[in-house]
Amino acid sequence: MSEEKKSGIDGQLLRRIVRFLVPYKKWVILASTSVIFAAFLGPLIPKLIQVTIDRDVVSGDLVGLRNMIGLLFLILLAEGGLSFINTYLTQWIGQQAIYDLRIRLYRHIQSQSLRFFDGTPIGRLITRVTSDVESLSDVLSAGLVTILGDLFKILFISWFMFTLDWRLALVALSVIPFMMWATLWFKKRVRLAYRDTRKQVARLNSFLQEHISGMKIVQIYGREPEEKKRFEAINDDHQQAHIKTVFYFALFFPLADLVASIALGLVIWVGGLNAIGGTLTLGVLIAFIQYVRQFFEPIRNLSDQFNTLQSAMAGAERIFGLLDSDESIPQVAAPTSLIDVKGRIEFKNVWFSYDNAIDLEDDNASWILRDVSFEVEPGQSLAIVGATGAGKTTVISLLLRFYDVQRGQIIVDGIPINQTSLADLRSHIGLVLQDVFLFSGSIKDNITLRNPLISDLAMKEATKAIGAASFIEKLSEGYDYQVKERGISLSHGQRQLLSFVRTLVYNPKILVLDEATSSVDTETEEVIQRAMETLMAGRTTVAIAHRLSTVQHASQILVMHKGMVRERGNHQQLIAKDGLYRKLYELQYRDQESVA
Amino acid sequence: MRSLSSLNFYYWRYKHLFIPGLFCAVASSVFAIIVPIVVRQAVDSIPRFVATSRAFQGTPLENYLYTDFFISLATYGGIIIMLSIGSGIFSFLTRQTVVVASRHIEYDLRNRLFSQLQSLSQDFYLQHATGDIITRSTSDIEQVRRYIGPAIMYTTRAVVTIVVAVSVMFVISPTLTWYTLIPMPFLAVSVFLVAGMVHSRSDALQFQYSQLTSRVQEALSGIRVLKAYVREEAEAEAFDQESAIYRKKSLDLALVEAAWRPVFLTLVGMSTLIVVWIGGSLAISGEITIGNVAEYIIYVAMMTWPVASMGFVITMVQRASASMIRLNDIFDAKPSILSLPEASSFDIEGEISFKDVSFTHVSSNVKTLDSVSFKVEAGSTLAIVGRTGSGKSTLVELIPRLLDADSGSVQIDGIDVKNLSVEKLRAGIGYVPQDVFLFSDTLSENISFGYLGAEQDQIEQAAEEADILANIDSFQDGFQTLVGERGITLSGGQKQRTSIARALIRKPSILILDDALSAVDVKTERTILSHLKKHFGKRTVVIVSHRISAVQDADHIIVLEDGRITERGDHAALIFENGFYASLFAKQQLEQELEDLA
Repeated sequence: MSEEKKSGIDGQLLRRIVRFLVPYKKWVILASTSVIFAAFLGPLIPKLIQVTIDRDVVSGDLVGLRNMIGLLFLILLAEGGLSFINTYLTQWIGQQAIYDLRIRLYRHIQSQSLRFFDGTPIGRLITRVTSDVESLSDVLSAGLVTILGDLFKILFISWFMFTLDWRLALVALSVIPFMMWATLWFKKRVRLAYRDTRKQVARLNSFLQEHISGMKIVQIYGREPEEKKRFEAINDDHQQAHIKTVFYFALFFPLADLVASIALGLVIWVGGLNAIGGTLTLGVLIAFIQYVRQFFEPIRNLSDQFNTLQSAMAGAERIFGLLDSDESIPQVAAPTSLIDVKGRIEFKNVWFSYDNAIDLEDDNASWILRDVSFEVEPGQSLAIVGATGAGKTTVISLLLRFYDVQRGQIIVDGIPINQTSLADLRSHIGLVLQDVFLFSGSIKDNITLRNPLISDLAMKEATKAIGAASFIEKLSEGYDYQVKERGISLSHGQRQLLSFVRTLVYNPKILVLDEATSSVDTETEEVIQRAMETLMAGRTTVAIAHRLSTVQHASQILVMHKGMVRERGNHQQLIAKDGLYRKLYELQYRDQESVA
Repeated sequence: MRSLSSLNFYYWRYKHLFIPGLFCAVASSVFAIIVPIVVRQAVDSIPRFVATSRAFQGTPLENYLYTDFFISLATYGGIIIMLSIGSGIFSFLTRQTVVVASRHIEYDLRNRLFSQLQSLSQDFYLQHATGDIITRSTSDIEQVRRYIGPAIMYTTRAVVTIVVAVSVMFVISPTLTWYTLIPMPFLAVSVFLVAGMVHSRSDALQFQYSQLTSRVQEALSGIRVLKAYVREEAEAEAFDQESAIYRKKSLDLALVEAAWRPVFLTLVGMSTLIVVWIGGSLAISGEITIGNVAEYIIYVAMMTWPVASMGFVITMVQRASASMIRLNDIFDAKPSILSLPEASSFDIEGEISFKDVSFTHVSSNVKTLDSVSFKVEAGSTLAIVGRTGSGKSTLVELIPRLLDADSGSVQIDGIDVKNLSVEKLRAGIGYVPQDVFLFSDTLSENISFGYLGAEQDQIEQAAEEADILANIDSFQDGFQTLVGERGITLSGGQKQRTSIARALIRKPSILILDDALSAVDVKTERTILSHLKKHFGKRTVVIVSHRISAVQDADHIIVLEDGRITERGDHAALIFENGFYASLFAKQQLEQELEDLA
């Protein structure tokens, strides 16, 4: 992931970036026109000052002088106005384009399947949507228009200089190669130095961040003297990197001044000699003194722009790389809609692996699920039991079509789930995960997930039915209580209850449940137990079961082991069977029974 | 502003850089200001020479005059270049002294801050959010640094340039000077106002940027929920909204910056126009020369930046002073846990006793521990069981003095911990906290963190005792594997075991495991406990756990409820008592048993 690997500017990539400006074409043309006019007006002023001095001051025409000043003042205002228009307009265009790109990128990411999320760290995706998009903003806003403006400025200044006195212009411009060389040398050095500085800053900050977060460990292990030593070393590297940067800046500014002074010295020398021959006026000399100063600004800007363009390329490449790969779940063109769902679920010889490159013909490959089949009738419940890695979670992920199966079929109410739309399928299934995920926002937002169709009344009824009303009402702001940092302020049991309310309020036909393994709090435990009964009533339930009551009352129990269904039947049948389930029951559930 | 006076000490420390630096700043400005005078002389000499050479046209003197003129013009040009070199050298030296000194001060300040942070006790960290302390140690220090170096350099240069230029200008023509200076105060004031607006708007933009980031972060972390409840479209719309706000904040900032340019251009341009207008009139009336006009044009250009910079400097000072107040919060905090001067310093044996210990958390005002008393012989095992929030972690944090009890006494080997040297006390303790914290460093560094200068075989032994050795060996880079952001992500269990190894390598007299086995399976737990057992008798072990399997063999078990001990005894006694412990025992977990079965 080396950011500054590329040194060139890829034309094709640039065209793709520029394409985001197409909707704002008219504005881009307006901004470009205004920038070119402004580029003309700036250099016009020294030219008119020259006329003023040579015509009015030398001849003593006070009225002429005043008129010229009036004209110059108007030009100044016009230049200011144009510069306001193009600065704001280019920013406006850029921000519109950035907005378009950002929301498109976000939607693309969000539409990807879980397979994609499994393989991509979230941090990387965040960088794409935030700082990578941001790096394009300079190019899309000021970038291209500014480059145009600077080029025209150089052109107009040169033109004025050459029309005033071409020999003096050549003399003044003879220092340009030095200026370019000095600027490029400086930019290159500073870029390298900055890269090092950034690295050191990151290092220093992450050391600080880590040690402040882990201060308890540092103190308890008595490491203060050692960590102080390490910090000082890092701090010193950081200091040295900055001092190096200071050196280049300290050198560059006087150097740039010197080059400008050389030009000034040359203009005075050669210009003065020309004046003696009567070929040069004082006004021209004064105009040249100003042009020499004006000339260097666009050159410096251009080299800045070139750097921005370069770093934007790296960001653009990553963004387009992401946009170009699509791992979303394929949807059929004409999906069959699920109307009046009863909740019948069928797994038919399902084979599945998270590895998409698996050999489909090879039964001995590393399948997570092997030939799993079961049926659940509407309103009935299925309890899945098994050890870690048996494939329990995979079964529920597949039912929700987070992944597509490689072999076999999953059928809901007689329709294979890949024949219906994802939204349709999922809107009939309620998922309750063991690890409850809460968003920062109010309790209400977490229950309704900001769905405006859910009324407050429905929410409160569901809360009451689940038995969460008492704890929510005890919170300082009730339903408006702000859940911070993923709900650390709430207990595990409370979070569990909230997710039950969330599910109940969405009123799905099918309930998919991953029961929490442990909850120490006995009182909450009982509430949860009752809440689950409420939730399961009248719904088809598929549960990864940890509670005796869930297992005992299940219409069907599936004992899974290493991706295969080892035993199935109801509680009595399996106990009678004297297999895996019975052993399990004897070890585990009898304790629960004696307590309950 | 007064907050910044605490920095005077540092200026004094680096006076050997600041004093020559300020001298160089003055010298550089003076050299630069002579340039326009030379330009004026050159420009004025031209008409003189033209007149003289006309008078001597055709005489033998003409050639001589031309040579003289050629040389004097070359001299003017040469002087301009020499002056620029002189000014450049001094300007280089200014930056190399003043800005470098500011970096030195920043370095000192950071070191002092870090030492101070290390000396502050846990109560400070409980009262301040980690993110807040981090911001202070990074960006607030940067704000202060900007004030120390650049602000001082800019001010000196600005003051010298303005004073010298204005004096020279007054000598030439007071009238023209007054007129020329009219736009200057407007320039300084508008810079000040604009800088203020830019700062507040860019803070607002930065805030929205982090809103946007956390929105994405949260949505993508909860992608399963979003997808399962078909909330993608709603979330995307919420994201659109955040992006739109971000766009608006960006444009708010852009508006100020866009408005600023024309104001700057007009004010600077006005000065030049005034010079040409008033200067032109004066030149016509013969009060000044045209060379003076050229001279003034250069002065105006030279003064623009220093005048503008004064506006920036004022905002810099404001920001630095606000930052310094925040930093002083840290610098002025007093560590609450210190070794007394007469503290005993000996290697601890490991007997722990609590006598009527109570503790109340300052932030929540909840009594976490209420008259807790117990005694554990050196070498025996104490297990603490209880619900979340019952005070277990607080209890164990009192032993190594991460916290101090409000009342009652915590004693080690019969001596109150407050009378022991903190270093010695902690040196005898191996503590494994509930939230595993590893540094983004190699596994080897993380384990040897517990024992400075540990040999490889000691690290390996600790890893083996914590049952992590086999895992480490399976990694490609073994002990040199990096963990954390830049390295591999360890599983919860692997992290816990690494953290246990870090405690074990100390061979502590007291080992504290604060729910430190929650993420490992029962089999691994058993292995680790059996390793520990080999050393029982040598060490006092304090185990906090939810799991009966981890605590049932302990010599003493205490059950905490709302900060009070409600049950105590060994496993058999507590089962007989048929209270909380017994009910907990009854709820063994299916998951673990199944693993045993398979």
